[in-house]
Amino acid sequence: MKRRTRNLPDVPERFPRAFQDLLHDLLARGPRLPGGKTEHERSKRRVLSQSGTFVGHRRYVRGDDLRRIDWAACARTGELFVKQFEEEERRALTLLLDLSPSLLAGTTPRRLFMLRLAAIIGGLALRHLDGLTVIAPGAGGGAVASFEGPGELDALLAHLDALPVVPASAEAAIGVVLKRGVAGRLHWISDFVDPATCELPLAALRRRGASVTGWLPVLAEDRQAPVRGYLTLDDLETGAEMIIAVDQALAAEMQHQLELLARQQDRLFAQCGFPLRRWPVPAPADFLAAAAYQQIVQWCSR
Amino acid sequence: MNLTHAAHLWWLLVLPLLFWLALPPRPRQRAWTAHLVQWRLAQKALRQKPPRLSGLRFLLLALACTAAVLAHAGPVLAGTPGPTRLVVLLDASASMAARHDGRSAFDVATQAVRQKLSELPENVEVTVLRCGGDLVRRHGPSARALQDIGRPAGALAVDLDALAAQVAGPNTVVWTLSDGQGQQRLPAAGALTCVGAAGPNAAIVAVRTIDRWPLPGFSVAVDMSWCGPEARRGEVQVTGAVLDTPPLSIELQPRAVQTVSVELERLAKGGLLQVRLVVAGDVLPDDDVYEVELPPLPAPRIAVLADAEAGPSFAAMAAKTLAEEVGGQVVPAGPGVEVGLLLVDGGNVAIAPGRVRAICFGSQFDAQRVPVPWLEPQFADWDRSSPLTAGLDLSELRVHCAFRETLPAGKAFLWAEHTLEGRVPLAAVAGDDSRASVHFAFRLQDSNLPLLSAFPQLLRRAFVRAYGAAAKLKVRSPAIAPGEQDLASRAVGADRPLPPFGTPDRELAAWSLLLGLCALALRAFVR
Repeated sequence: MKRRTRNLPDVPERFPRAFQDLLHDLLARGPRLPGGKTEHERSKRRVLSQSGTFVGHRRYVRGDDLRRIDWAACARTGELFVKQFEEEERRALTLLLDLSPSLLAGTTPRRLFMLRLAAIIGGLALRHLDGLTVIAPGAGGGAVASFEGPGELDALLAHLDALPVVPASAEAAIGVVLKRGVAGRLHWISDFVDPATCELPLAALRRRGASVTGWLPVLAEDRQAPVRGYLTLDDLETGAEMIIAVDQALAAEMQHQLELLARQQDRLFAQCGFPLRRWPVPAPADFLAAAAYQQIVQWCSR
Repeated sequence: MNLTHAAHLWWLLVLPLLFWLALPPRPRQRAWTAHLVQWRLAQKALRQKPPRLSGLRFLLLALACTAAVLAHAGPVLAGTPGPTRLVVLLDASASMAARHDGRSAFDVATQAVRQKLSELPENVEVTVLRCGGDLVRRHGPSARALQDIGRPAGALAVDLDALAAQVAGPNTVVWTLSDGQGQQRLPAAGALTCVGAAGPNAAIVAVRTIDRWPLPGFSVAVDMSWCGPEARRGEVQVTGAVLDTPPLSIELQPRAVQTVSVELERLAKGGLLQVRLVVAGDVLPDDDVYEVELPPLPAPRIAVLADAEAGPSFAAMAAKTLAEEVGGQVVPAGPGVEVGLLLVDGGNVAIAPGRVRAICFGSQFDAQRVPVPWLEPQFADWDRSSPLTAGLDLSELRVHCAFRETLPAGKAFLWAEHTLEGRVPLAAVAGDDSRASVHFAFRLQDSNLPLLSAFPQLLRRAFVRAYGAAAKLKVRSPAIAPGEQDLASRAVGADRPLPPFGTPDRELAAWSLLLGLCALALRAFVR
């Protein structure tokens, strides 16, 4: 086994026009996020427990507490606006993205589906919640980005599209999250190829009282040995190279190892009480089919 | 280390090719994976290893290849210069049997030779010459084993000094082992080991016998010497195939030959006669014994066959004369009668010449041949060297009628002069050393042979000749070696050790090949 100069595979166009249309359609017809439901429940309280510092306005969406409508602004503009405060239970959502090269694996790289998954979840958050924070450890200046309101969907897509491929460990990623604080639910999108390194960070999040949802775009290669024959395997993460002869016995054993990995990933999240969503990525023919992404929206609405 | 064919080392250029061939082939497919850990675990579970160039395996292959090329180049390990041949001159004369401290000098010498030869390198060519008695030469493995080297006996008939000087050479080392007995000086060439020591010795130096066979009388005259500092009393013991004889005591004088004569009466069955000189303090007892095998006495029963024409008178007279001469008796001839000699005069007799002990006078043994009388043959001569007629006077022999056809093929000892054919045999001996028959071509009545004074002696000699070797003494003791008796007069000198021998060049090709094979065998177990 030896290391060689890395020449990573390319990722196809992340957000083509057709996908953006599909995204808008999904967001328009999609259900509300749980954060909105919480706000709806809070609106039923007798006392308006407004607290915190006023940070601005946003457009009214159905389900917002009517007592937060800024009638003066409504009178001036003719549209309904609600006041936004910096409070503990602010309706927000945090996306934690794994930019490591290991997500470039797959016939169609897993990174493509990670970005589209982030776009759908982020889009839902922009449409239904107060804000969205995207944390991408290792991305330099773009490691942390905040978005508010549905109008920033394009900015979100542009931000996601511009994220580089950088190696980042799970400890470092969670370190950034803990340092900045978790706003709302944390959606962690990764391939979790090394569950052992995720165990301590998840435990730390649990101690902080964070709510975490793990997202794993599942490729066909995650369920069975991808190839047969005499080939060279390149490790995306380390650049290591290994020549291997894949026969039937080795393929069967590899499938067994992949099943073990899946069980480790499930156990990792289960022991912290967090859900792990395995999203089977669509076939190339269904890349732009709404049904392929409908399950994401449904999961987000729970 | 030298190489016989150093140019063959060019074959080492095949090593890069082997390295290239040992490289695993590059796969044509390449795949990116995030599950390299799982691939490794799967391989580990199946105990598989990825195809790769094993440094150790290639090292072993290169070692095997190098060893094979080296073997092809003929590696040779240079040996050390020095002699490569050893000639051992082993004195095995009779004096080497002298015992000191319970061991003979010959035993000491052979043990030293065995020990040294066992330490010699295999490349040394060894030759052992037994000097003394019968010359024996052993070479190679039989020399290293001292095979059938014998016991010390006989005289040392060679000059060890001259022989060692002659044999020694640049590549040949001579090692002489001797007691110095019978030598003017010890060898100056090569290694030398002196064995034995001086000591008193009594010896039988000569034995003379008078055999009266077929009579039992037997005389022995023994010459003996004593090689000691002072006179000593000894004893002569005669035992064996003779009637009991008391030992004879004798006062032995230093370095003087003394003779003892003994009259003996032998036993009829014959056997071994031993004459032994017993002297206290004798260090060399092997030369104190004289042994002789006495033949059994014959049954001197003489039968007579004579034809009616010849008349029994001459034949009977001859038989009586012979019986008186040899102490036998005349018995009538007949079927089933055991006789010692058959005396036939004339007529026909069915005997095979030379197969029956007989004396025939003009007897026809071949019925197919008709005898033709030869009247008045002129007697010519007799064989003066034959045991039958030596010393006899037959000049007055006259034959009136002879029958030449009655003579078988054999060695003639009487001849007549024929006018046409020259000398013609009148008597002959047929047979071999163990059994013979004596044939005359004339009957007793047709000659004056019975009247000659030599006739009884001729009959006795014919009787003895008919028995041949069965009547002879057989000396069993080894020949008495002159000069081996006085153990005090021997040459002495300091021992000289053997020089170091050279070792030959050693070819290492086989070892190199073996190394290569071991490397290949080890490579089979390395993954």
